Amino acid sequence: MADGTVFEKRGIPAAAIITHTFTASANAMAQRNGFPDYRYAMIPHPLSSLNPEQVKQRAHEVLPEILAILGIEEKARTVSAAAS
Amino acid sequence: MASGERRAPTDEALRSARAAIEYCYEQGWTDGLPVVPPLNELVDEFLGQTARDPGEVLMTVRHLERSCTVRQAAINSVMAGCKPDYFPVILAAIDAFASGAGMVTGLLQSTTGQAEIVVVNGPIRQRLNFNCQDNIFSPGDRPNATVGRALRLIIMNALGIRPHVFDQSTQGTSAKYSCCIAENEEDSPWEPLHVERGFARDTSAVTVQMVRSDLYVEHRGTQVPEEILLTIADSMSYAGMITQITEERILHGSVVVMGPEHAQIIAKQGWSKHDVKRFLWENFGKTKGELRGFGKVARDLEDKANDAFIHTGGSPESILLVVAGANNAGVSTVCPSFTVGRAGIGNGTSRIVLKRD
Repeated sequence: MADGTVFEKRGIPAAAIITHTFTASANAMAQRNGFPDYRYAMIPHPLSSLNPEQVKQRAHEVLPEILAILGIEEKARTVSAAAS
Repeated sequence: MASGERRAPTDEALRSARAAIEYCYEQGWTDGLPVVPPLNELVDEFLGQTARDPGEVLMTVRHLERSCTVRQAAINSVMAGCKPDYFPVILAAIDAFASGAGMVTGLLQSTTGQAEIVVVNGPIRQRLNFNCQDNIFSPGDRPNATVGRALRLIIMNALGIRPHVFDQSTQGTSAKYSCCIAENEEDSPWEPLHVERGFARDTSAVTVQMVRSDLYVEHRGTQVPEEILLTIADSMSYAGMITQITEERILHGSVVVMGPEHAQIIAKQGWSKHDVKRFLWENFGKTKGELRGFGKVARDLEDKANDAFIHTGGSPESILLVVAGANNAGVSTVCPSFTVGRAGIGNGTSRIVLKRD
């Protein structure tokens, strides 16, 4: 969470991902770093005990949220709407 | 009543004290136990024990933008119940932590939930009555109880790392309440920790490391050094202390608090402290086959044979060995550590500087 806000402060778009059990400390960290409404992506806990296939599944599930945070999904929709 | 005895407080004084204690709870300043309300005049008594400037920054947690100054350390030392003359020990402990284990970013917030262990060496132990004999890990002695507690209150209040917010310990350890021991240099057959680390015996020093728990070890029925040491090494090597969630094998260390009886049996057979650390290190770990059974084989061990012994520590310096406790039974303690022997950080020992020095 700290990394995400640090990147953003430096003008580098970033999307932070947490597992749902860390929302309290994530919110505290974002608040601490001056981003009280910081939007992050969330996946179910646990992560470290998952096998590679399960990790890939988590990545697929969270991808739309990451694209939305980075503003890419909206841009993609705008471009395709202008072309149609 | 003899002169020098404290008069029992009046009921009115006790009611005020109760109100002040409750106020400190309401401010969120405690570790769950009552704290001594930090009156300015008490804080000033502590600040008078050092030549260091009250505004001097002792340590910083950069990513949280939180620091601890000498004044904040004094405030938390008052709250912990310390006496003013303990303050130089606490300052040295913060220095030791900041230059050692405290350099591992995020460790204080980790789900592992480790505690800081404080080891005191040198003449200050007698001067301030630090306990180095029976019950070193138990309640009962003000210097041990309050110096360890002061460090934790500093972490919670000055550095802002509190439970349920920035302290993410899954369970934590009761050692986080306080874990401060003094080495029993008098009953130890070897050089004490601070001498091992280059200080003169009559210099006082403090060492701080991070530990995950304290584990009881006993062997009462042998005079064979290897049997005692293999028992200790086995206790150091339990599967649950091994972190294995990355591709590379993660190295660990251990604080071994050897009881004087064990130490004397071993030394009597001609073993030096160095011999003991080497033997412990050689037996600190598990075979690859055992690790596989526990599901804790790192990918970079794939080419090792199944019966290959995988060391948990990088070298004998992954073991911090002190002698402490009563000389009344064959009991020792091991404390798994992520920071002992870790490359890139200090060894966590600092000299205690008194104002007159």
